[in-house]
Amino acid sequence: MITVALSKGRLFDDFIKYIEGQGLKKYSEVLRGESRTLFTLVDDVRFIFAKGPDVPVYVERGAADIGIVGSDILDEEDFEYLNVSGLPFGRCHFALAGPPNIDHFNTVASKYINIARKYFNQEQEAVSLIHLNGSVELAPILGLADGIVDIVQTGNTLKDNGLIEYKKITEVQARLIANKQTFYTKEEEIYKFISEIGVIA
Amino acid sequence: MTKNNEILKRMTLGTEYLKRLDQSGYTLVDMNMIEPFSLDDKNHHPTSIVFERDSTIYAIRSDWTRTLLNFNNNYFSDDRKFGYFGPVVREETSFYQAGAEIYHANEADIIESIISHINFVHENSNKRINTFVINNDQLIDLFVDQYGLSEEIRPLIYSKNISDLRDELGENHDLYKILSARVSTQFELIDELFKSTDIMKLINEIRKELAKVNDNIKFILDLSFRSPQRYYNGLYFQAFLNTNSPVLSGGQYNSSAFGLGLNISDGGLL
Repeated sequence: MITVALSKGRLFDDFIKYIEGQGLKKYSEVLRGESRTLFTLVDDVRFIFAKGPDVPVYVERGAADIGIVGSDILDEEDFEYLNVSGLPFGRCHFALAGPPNIDHFNTVASKYINIARKYFNQEQEAVSLIHLNGSVELAPILGLADGIVDIVQTGNTLKDNGLIEYKKITEVQARLIANKQTFYTKEEEIYKFISEIGVIA
Repeated sequence: MTKNNEILKRMTLGTEYLKRLDQSGYTLVDMNMIEPFSLDDKNHHPTSIVFERDSTIYAIRSDWTRTLLNFNNNYFSDDRKFGYFGPVVREETSFYQAGAEIYHANEADIIESIISHINFVHENSNKRINTFVINNDQLIDLFVDQYGLSEEIRPLIYSKNISDLRDELGENHDLYKILSARVSTQFELIDELFKSTDIMKLINEIRKELAKVNDNIKFILDLSFRSPQRYYNGLYFQAFLNTNSPVLSGGQYNSSAFGLGLNISDGGLL
């Protein structure tokens, strides 16, 4: 048996649509029926439902053999895992955003503080960073920061809060990651699953 | 297993292991857990707890390999083979490490030490090692040279980033074909390309000797396989009983040294 850690939320819905598109009803029908359980079993695949940032933790520690998670989470923290493949969903991007007419950002708020730091270091810009856990669009509205680094999908949230995008920082998409040991010790089951979902031919 | 039995089994295994090394001509060592430390080493040992006393930097031992290298560098010992069993501390966790280091190790030393360690595991377990994973970082150098690849390809190989490798190299590139193939089929594909190199000759020899010990062993050569300890710069391997943690691991470092570690915590021996 292998364990697959799935990120809850929007990525979970996108994963179900993706495997439906692959004709894998045996997985999608069971997963669609899940609402409050923590895990479910389909044949020899156990799916566990986790918060996105916890998925690489489960995979790194071997509690899960495979993880489906956004690259935003993988880029933000360092974990040990095999970063096997991008998946064709969960596409969005990181952006630097703020109110119109900002010439220079002095203070920027973000949930993704490491990504923001790396970006400003690369740009050789001295910027103070403030870590927030969510609703970062509030920071410029309240004068806490003059900009934000955040994930942008449609741009509607920025627009609704009177913010504009200044710079696209990096692309984000769903990725399939794997544990560094069980990739070898559970080779049969892992390749069967990643082949079923179309990651390898 | 009760906690008492687990502790007793671990200590017995450690003692039996040291006895075996002693009988095989290894010099046994046991040293202070607090050792002088150079901050230059921090990159290789990021989990070491480092502290300062009287203007001198010290670390709590986090890895016997480093401890023994220091010992050997400072005392110019003529001995070549060392064995140890004792605690180490990494970040906030302490655990026991047992292992052996061979300096100026030739191919025969490497093969003999791997096989004798596997025999030790088999004698002390009712299970057999079923998976053996190996790689040599220098194989990637061969690919980079032969195919004129950029250095940017390395992190994609290390992380087994199949999708980005496909985008970068195309589906028909040998390297993509190898890395997207099942890991247990990589050996044949790589051997076909680099059979005549010393690296593959040694890997072939190890494979042959392992088959003599257990002809059901799953032998995996994977270019993405690397040690979490960054000082290994040549051959590196892990062997598994029936757990997710390797019972044995080891490899080449410092150009001619070879070290092995026996996992007496969660490798399946307890």
